[in-house]
Amino acid sequence: MSGEFRFLEDVALADAAFEASGDSPSELFKAAAQAVIETMVNPHTVSPTWQRVIEHQAPEIATLLFDWLSDIVYLKDAHGVVFREATAVVSEDRPHGGWKLRGTLTGEPIDPARHELRADVKAVTKHLYDVRHDEGREGGRWTARVVLDV
Amino acid sequence: MDGAGGAGRMKLHTDMTVNRITDEVWEIPVSAKEGMQVPARIYATETILAGMDSGVFEQVTNVACLPGIQRYALCMPDGHWGYGFPIGGVAAFDSQEGVISPGGVGYDINCGMRLIRTDLTLSDVQPCIQALMTELFRKVPAGVGSKGFVRLDRREFEQVMRKGARWCVEHGYGWNGDLERIEERGCIPGADPSKVSDHAVERGISQLGTLGSGNHYLEVQVAANDRIFDPKTAAALGITGHDQIVVMVHCGSRGFGHQVASDYLKVFEKAMRRYGIVVKDQQLACAPFRSPEGQDYFAAMNCAANSAFANRQVITHQIREAFRTVFGRSAEELGMEIVYDVAHNIAKVERYAEGELVVHRKGSTRAFGPGRPELPDRYRETGQPVICGGSMETGSYLLVGTEQAMRETFGSTMHGSGRTMSRAQAKRSVRGEQLKQQMEKRGIVVKAVSMSGLAEEAGFAYKNISDVVETVDRAGITKKVAELRPIGNIKG
Repeated sequence: MSGEFRFLEDVALADAAFEASGDSPSELFKAAAQAVIETMVNPHTVSPTWQRVIEHQAPEIATLLFDWLSDIVYLKDAHGVVFREATAVVSEDRPHGGWKLRGTLTGEPIDPARHELRADVKAVTKHLYDVRHDEGREGGRWTARVVLDV
Repeated sequence: MDGAGGAGRMKLHTDMTVNRITDEVWEIPVSAKEGMQVPARIYATETILAGMDSGVFEQVTNVACLPGIQRYALCMPDGHWGYGFPIGGVAAFDSQEGVISPGGVGYDINCGMRLIRTDLTLSDVQPCIQALMTELFRKVPAGVGSKGFVRLDRREFEQVMRKGARWCVEHGYGWNGDLERIEERGCIPGADPSKVSDHAVERGISQLGTLGSGNHYLEVQVAANDRIFDPKTAAALGITGHDQIVVMVHCGSRGFGHQVASDYLKVFEKAMRRYGIVVKDQQLACAPFRSPEGQDYFAAMNCAANSAFANRQVITHQIREAFRTVFGRSAEELGMEIVYDVAHNIAKVERYAEGELVVHRKGSTRAFGPGRPELPDRYRETGQPVICGGSMETGSYLLVGTEQAMRETFGSTMHGSGRTMSRAQAKRSVRGEQLKQQMEKRGIVVKAVSMSGLAEEAGFAYKNISDVVETVDRAGITKKVAELRPIGNIKG
């Protein structure tokens, strides 16, 4: 099974919640980013003319994911873009302890005439925020629950 | 379980004891949860109380546990689950011993309502409503990441943060008389741009004069004679009836305020450890109001609050321009004065019998009664106008604050109708295009950036605003003045 996400309906009445998962932290981060992207726009209507590389370190993987998703929200407003897709490489930050991320976001400047716009995400919240690793065969499964304020 | 004189056999979404104080006021005693400093009080009819989600009971009692809280943790009848604090929540903290919490304000700092009157009537506007809505949609950008026409550099944006709506009037985006018709005259003192992050500035600098999305809207409405409940007060507020046209705006501080809230939630998570504060929900992160972190947040929050007043002021300018274009007469000739502008996501320092308090209103509106010195002369006798937005399909209300609100609710009341259905469920129930057609058949012209966003805001996803308004009216914490029916709606 690779990375995937599904929107949760009964978690946030006025907002948007999702659960993302992957066989590795990298897959989880890519799937969670895609959930944020698809809350804002239909990504099939967005061309990959704009790209941004994002690097972060954090002592905990939950903080790293929170910062990564918050960057998507920030870039949407600060650069006036919507996104098509994300890639993420997450690994343990051995010299410092904790985790590090190198991610990319592709998209293009917002054009309401071409983009199927959805909700303007205000923030990634800590409400019911959870990142967990279920140990199992072949490295287990990484899962995150995230509530977005729209 | 409930106590003597309590909710009886009513089925509530909680096991806590809920005692009936009056037909519209319910109290959860301090014994309901360990750590409660004060009781929690919910304003609701039996029906509204029974419909409230479990989050309201859980969250209002969590708020009652916060340090320095005074009298009661309150929730208004439009209350529902929020982050940390419930939407519809009011909580006042001692300014010396108590806390300030970004969760008690919300992500959209100074999200609020503005009402603009006109001398036009339905018969003037009906023939050109399509042209008017098209022009408003063109002049007031809405939707994901929309940008406004005002170009600012950082230095000028800092002036917006300090001066709020006053900056707009100084730059030609408003009239001198506008300011006294805005809560705090559209400029809260104590805003300090040095307490705002670069990220917040970058998110907000190009968004002045934009609506946003979600439940934000711009609406052209009608004040019909048979929906005016207090003609004398209505007239004092500039609402004359006879199918008078008014314009209502619901929006806030956009990405700028959202980032200020996000930034300080992180700061407060660390600060709580330093001050030994333990909260029952991470989203209730708070710090002593007098601490450096508390004061920094207050200064940054006031920057965002002022930018929200400025945002609604620039939108007002654009609305006046749109009417001028369509009707060929100046906004002054059309009598387009602001009725009032209220914040419904904010923390403010106010004086009550207990002394100086930091009053948090999150999805609730200040509702000062007659005589308060904060009110302009024109509203000193009527009490403060309170603007409550309903769903885009139903209607909205104009009310006034009362002396009872000053005694009972720290001068606060409801803010809107309150959601009852998830966004996903609403979208499953109706498609955006279908809803648009249904609304147009009922005489409401809709312009929407996002059709899925439109479906999410369908009227059936909200409580009936009339029931909510009746509750605060009967409870005496605000008095209804007029109901305003939509004929045109712009959504992000």
